[in-house]
Amino acid sequence: MSDRKMRVMVVDDAALVRLFYRETLGKAGFIVDEALNGLEALEKVLSEAPDLLIVDVNMPQMDGITFIKTLRRQEPPMAGIPVLIASTEAGPQDFAAAREAGANFYLVKPIDPDRLLAFAAMMCGVAA
Amino acid sequence: MNEFLEQFVIECREQVEQATADLLALEKSPSNIERLDSAFRAFHSLKGGAGIVDFDAMAEAVHGAEDGLSYARKGTIAISTTLIGDCLACLDQVIQWVDEIARRGDLPRDASKQAAAIVARFSRGDGVAAGADPRPQVEQSVGWVTSILAEHPDAAREARCALRYTPSADCFFSQEDPLARIARLPGLLTIDVSPVHPWPQLCDLDPFQCNLVLVALSSASETEIHKALADVLDRCHIEALEETVRRPSSSLSLDARSLLEAQLGLLESTVNDDFAGKVASAGVVVANVFLAQGDSGLAVPIEEATAQSLAEGQTAPLAHAIKAILFEEAAKPGAPLAFGTEHDTAARALRIDARRVDSLVDLTTELTVAKNAIGHVVALAQNGEEGLEQLLKQRFAVLDRLIGELQQGVLALRVLPLRHVFQRFPRLLRDIAAGLDKSVNLVTEGAETEADKAIVEMLFEPLLHVVRNAIDHGIEDKAGRLALGKPAVATLKLRGYREGENVVIEIADDGQGINVERVRQVAIDRGVATAEALAAMSESQVTALIFEPGFSTAQSVTDLSGRGVGMDVVRTIIVRMGGTVGIESRPGAGTAVRFTLPFSVMLTRIMVVSAAGQKFGIPLDAVVETLRVGPDAIARVGAAQAIVLRNQTVPVIDLREALNLHGESDRRRDAILVVANVDGVSSALQVDVIGERFDAMLKPLEGLLSGTPGLAGSTLLGDGSILLILDLTELCR
Repeated sequence: MSDRKMRVMVVDDAALVRLFYRETLGKAGFIVDEALNGLEALEKVLSEAPDLLIVDVNMPQMDGITFIKTLRRQEPPMAGIPVLIASTEAGPQDFAAAREAGANFYLVKPIDPDRLLAFAAMMCGVAA
Repeated sequence: MNEFLEQFVIECREQVEQATADLLALEKSPSNIERLDSAFRAFHSLKGGAGIVDFDAMAEAVHGAEDGLSYARKGTIAISTTLIGDCLACLDQVIQWVDEIARRGDLPRDASKQAAAIVARFSRGDGVAAGADPRPQVEQSVGWVTSILAEHPDAAREARCALRYTPSADCFFSQEDPLARIARLPGLLTIDVSPVHPWPQLCDLDPFQCNLVLVALSSASETEIHKALADVLDRCHIEALEETVRRPSSSLSLDARSLLEAQLGLLESTVNDDFAGKVASAGVVVANVFLAQGDSGLAVPIEEATAQSLAEGQTAPLAHAIKAILFEEAAKPGAPLAFGTEHDTAARALRIDARRVDSLVDLTTELTVAKNAIGHVVALAQNGEEGLEQLLKQRFAVLDRLIGELQQGVLALRVLPLRHVFQRFPRLLRDIAAGLDKSVNLVTEGAETEADKAIVEMLFEPLLHVVRNAIDHGIEDKAGRLALGKPAVATLKLRGYREGENVVIEIADDGQGINVERVRQVAIDRGVATAEALAAMSESQVTALIFEPGFSTAQSVTDLSGRGVGMDVVRTIIVRMGGTVGIESRPGAGTAVRFTLPFSVMLTRIMVVSAAGQKFGIPLDAVVETLRVGPDAIARVGAAQAIVLRNQTVPVIDLREALNLHGESDRRRDAILVVANVDGVSSALQVDVIGERFDAMLKPLEGLLSGTPGLAGSTLLGDGSILLILDLTELCR
């Protein structure tokens, strides 16, 4: 396994939530990039090449579902970046929509830091 | 002997039989995880039972064997003839003790010496000391959720809440009965009871101190559990279980498993333009899960499968690779069968009679010939030949016949004769009856009756349960039968037959029948029904109460083992298969339990009728005759209508009214009636027109329409429109 640091891009319009990700993931050794909405994320994904995207659903300009749909229709390797949805919505229709769009997993907010780290690590292929 | 002990003796015999059968099967095929699990559960139940009635020596001996099996489950030790022999020796000892208990109400005096000898068998060799469970006796407060979920995979699937209750040591003095409290929890699925501190020597034991931890799973919500435990909340841990957490653990963590399963779901959702993105990302995630565990050996084949999927434009290679890992994981000894693998694999593997395949191959040959014959007509037409209609019509007839045969042939691949499940019973029956000093002759009838494969395969468990119940409770012992003037050898009849749309399986014994008074009493005692409600019930309704949850008389003991074994389980399974359960009991003469199951896909001969301008199908096998009667023939009887047919009054149901149809009617002066026989009762359905008859594949209604009263399913008509099939049972009720 490589020693390089894993890069996670968090896409969320709430500053507090981004702070939580920065703190939790940063302390655990991830490099954390941030985007405020789907549109910004799409632009950044190409240049930053993250190993994992953690994406909120409800965001201005471009919501998470549209973002993932668009992402999955890009050229590889960009199209195949693992996506973890983190949303307060917890209905079966929300899970289904995320899966249809192409999300790899869904965590319901509020997210326990340990759980976040466990999933981020597994999805990036590093030991937690 | 008190009732508790009596129940204990019955239970023990049952568990010993089960364990013996499992062990013998295991000896033949050591990789049979189901049998291993089942044997383990049986020993576990035996131990639990012995603990409850305070037969410590017995609990100790059984514990030794249980440990042996639990190491085998974990894969620490192999399933050897020695291990099986030791376990069987333990069972022999248990049966000796049980006989003694049945005679004298207590264990023999030298029981602890005998127990020690049994325990010693399990502590030799293999470097594993019996009794030295690797889990510390004082259970750690972390991981208990995972362990109970793993211990009870069935309950885990339905559980919404896990709880752990450690009553205070002096709780008995504050009139707290911890076990009863947990037993009354809403939605209780399973209880595990273990000591807080290792049990001391009997002479040091203070029976007034509570030394128990109770761990339970419930299908009720966290709030409900909170309410039920309100006054002891400080001694409880209650954990709400998320959907993804309910899975038993294995060497893959629960989280890893849910991630893998989520990727399978993602693969199923691919459409054309997001295919590459979804497949690539799923492949990355799965490979990463293994990399994260330091298992790059598993990551490589996943990466290969991903590349193959992307190259072929098919999700199958990656999906198979993921499934292979998940299933292999589940098939390892020690790993509980997770997330319904039995069902999944059963759905995939289909054992087919070679003759059926051969006949399909023959059919394809004939189809090719027929196709060429049509090609010939096309060539003629291209040459300007005229008057080809007759020729085309002939060719069409041939093709029509062949396609019909093909359809039937393919459908037949999905059906199995009931023999598949029936044939397991003769042996089981001998085993079950032998330990009870009962002699039972099994008669099977209609084993060649076919039913949908899924149904045949799911039948075993409920059947076994009813059969065991019949032998245990229904059939008297030899002496009892002789005293009643019955033949000493009882008869148990397994019968399968088709009844219209359904497959019926009947289990009939010639035992003592069901004591309705006893059922009433138990129903009241256990709060299944109130005395008022019971007073209003007919005898057959009271009898049917044995299928209610919470009724089972065996429950007090067996639930502790995590096996809910009430008859309600039988009904749950049958209802899940879309069927119904009926019971008929004649006091002193026997009991018959009847499963009525759908024959989910099959060709049915349909008669088309119409009412108010709408067409409906009626399954022809329910139709006795069709009549045209003058308007005077139908008489009003109160609010209903009836005709007299061969001296029998037959109710007339107007389809237009029954289905509340408002379209324009095509009714003549004379009434057109379809007389149908449902469950032995004749009814006449008044329709406007009777139309064609044909064979069709019925599909059950799904989605919003499922459960629409009066409709049984649908089928496609030649013009592509949908024909709704009437449910006569419902309409004629």
